[in-house]
Amino acid sequence: MGEYDVIIIGAGFAGPVAAKKCADAGLRTLMTERSENVGEKVISGLTIPIYGFLFGPSFIRDGNPPIERPVDGIINYIIKDIEQGDMEIDDSLKIPKPFSPVYAFGYNAYCKPFCEWEARKAIEAGAELRTSTVVTDVIMEAGCVQGVITETGEKIRSRIVIDAEGSQGLVALKAGVRKRYPPETISLADVYDYEMPKDRLDEIFGFSLRFCWGWDEQRCAPPLGHGNGLMVWPYRESIHYMHDQCLRMDSANVPNLRKLLSEYHGNITSKLPWWKEDVAPHARLRAHMWEGFEIFVGLNQELRSMPNHTDGMILVGDAAGLESTELCDGVPQAWISADMAADVAIEALKANNTSRSFLSRYDKRIKAHPILQWSMSGTNRFNLRYAQQEHDLAKLRRYVHDGWGLGALAHLSTPLVKTACRHVMANPLILMKWRKMFHRYYFNWHHGRFDYSGAPAGSREGARGRKEDARFRASFRTKQILLAALTPLLWVLAMLSYPLAGTLNPAMKVLLPAIEPVYAAILRITARLAGWLSRRKVSLVVNSDPSLFEV
Amino acid sequence: MGMKGKTARVSEKFPGVEWVEGTGSFITVDTQRCTGCGNCMKVCLADCYEVAGGKARIKGLDLCMECGSCWYVCAEEAIAFTWPKGGTGFRTRWG
Ligand SMILES: Cc1cc2nc3c(=O)[nH]c(=O)nc-3n(C[C@H](O)[C@H](O)[C@H](O)COP(=O)(O)OP(=O)(O)OC[C@H]3O[C@@H](n4cnc5c(N)ncnc54)[C@H](O)[C@@H]3O)c2cc1C
Repeated sequence: MGEYDVIIIGAGFAGPVAAKKCADAGLRTLMTERSENVGEKVISGLTIPIYGFLFGPSFIRDGNPPIERPVDGIINYIIKDIEQGDMEIDDSLKIPKPFSPVYAFGYNAYCKPFCEWEARKAIEAGAELRTSTVVTDVIMEAGCVQGVITETGEKIRSRIVIDAEGSQGLVALKAGVRKRYPPETISLADVYDYEMPKDRLDEIFGFSLRFCWGWDEQRCAPPLGHGNGLMVWPYRESIHYMHDQCLRMDSANVPNLRKLLSEYHGNITSKLPWWKEDVAPHARLRAHMWEGFEIFVGLNQELRSMPNHTDGMILVGDAAGLESTELCDGVPQAWISADMAADVAIEALKANNTSRSFLSRYDKRIKAHPILQWSMSGTNRFNLRYAQQEHDLAKLRRYVHDGWGLGALAHLSTPLVKTACRHVMANPLILMKWRKMFHRYYFNWHHGRFDYSGAPAGSREGARGRKEDARFRASFRTKQILLAALTPLLWVLAMLSYPLAGTLNPAMKVLLPAIEPVYAAILRITARLAGWLSRRKVSLVVNSDPSLFEV
Repeated sequence: MGMKGKTARVSEKFPGVEWVEGTGSFITVDTQRCTGCGNCMKVCLADCYEVAGGKARIKGLDLCMECGSCWYVCAEEAIAFTWPKGGTGFRTRWG
């Protein structure tokens, strides 16, 4: 018997999710974190894609986490000549108005407040947290992990360990569960944070991310040896600029990153037309930092076939190499895997069996999760190198469109619909929760109203506001009741669609060339009406009574 | 930057980041194994390395952001990479 039932290494994005679920199940749970304050060593982009919120832990979906801005699309710039300002735009992946901006593709966030929010939820559920505590090894007895050893030599015992230590994975390496990732799978991301007034940001970026792609001789996007680019994320009153480069190229050549990344940064900020004209006059540099991310681990067969568990220990999130090979998103994967790991830990402790063979069900669940599998096997970003090497514009356009344009529907429709069907089949009422989530998140974002932020609930006063508010409240309730009434039907629909979901990707591949022009035409024709409707919806949401969206 | 806790160093080179003292030498180079290829020096954005006399040497870890790039690119496994002492090293609120 250990002092604890479960010890979780690391309180980043994954750790607190596992900790909260274990604590909720009544297990004696300890989180250990090497930094003094939670989240201050976590560096990211960061757009958390919507599938993390929809299909991840329920306390996040149903809660009020601190988000920086909803995201409704990506504008891709294919830079042909930076000096002349010659570039093509692909902005086909966009949630159309009037759905946007209340309905979003994902939410931008800063790591520190978000991880802190998660950790507080875990603590409220009864988990303990020890900060400034570096775990250096595991206690291995009778061939089974029985707890952790800290840098001071202290042994803390537990019946099971969940390793959420992030991508470097030093403890997992020590325990012999993992290998050091090879440098060609790791990209070093150079991140700049710029402050910008919110009204300028609303006007310039709105709710869209901006990605740039191009030829290396433009010296504006690190080549990765692998074709890559600059990514800009709009936050509430700031933006994140990130460009990245793999640590080793195809040729086994290691690039001089200090020279390269600073040259590119200088070039972009002085030459890229929209940066120079729109961003630079309003942006003030606030921070510059970097971190490696495990971008191509999922494509490495040897690493992929290694188990994510051993006797008494389960690996989650970046420690398990689950980051996406395309968008470099890893937070949804961290949440989903941590949630699964907690389930398996609870089952294992109930069965009093933490053996490798029992814990292997965790790996089976990871392999059976459509989104996890899809996100770590996407090849668009990897293949971009070929367009680059061959200087083939048609190829580059296609990879960009298939990766970060509407072409993505030809590979993400099946996993998304499959996962959605599974959730609806398990609990059809989840549709109401999803709808509430979008509205609540938008409302909270607009009013800066998050848990622990101490900001007052903002709802408009005055007769006209109250009348509109009452109307919205009534219509929101009516729609929720309608949705509830429809759930048996939707449940049947999900049951019927599930076996067919596998055909969606191939069908999209065939149909997209026909659908896309029609879709674009509809967007153009209805733009004004849809814009008006969406402004109206926004004003109704932000003026409504916050209690409407509470769970 | 006004974060609670210990006092920390800042650097004009990299705004928005603080370094809490007392890390210990958490990255070391095994000169027996080092071939002086300079890969660690090329990938370190904090300029922590130099190559002298055919061997890599750590000039200082003052601005290290603990990314591990030097360790990843060392084919000879001459670099031992561990974490700084708990609660020390780099920190930021803008990640
Ligand atoms: C530059 C960059 C941009 C990114 N952009 C996106 C994005 O846009 N969208 C997205 O979804 N994802 C993005 N990611 C990926 C995402 O940040 C990670 O997938 C996510 O943080 C993984 O969560 P985790 O909990 O597994 O690990 P982490 O969040 O890294 O947490 C690990 C925690 O463990 C602690 N720790 C480590 N070792 C020890 C130890 N030995 N003892 C005690 N504590 C320890 C660390 O201090 C840290 O707090 C990006 C990553 C980077 C680097």
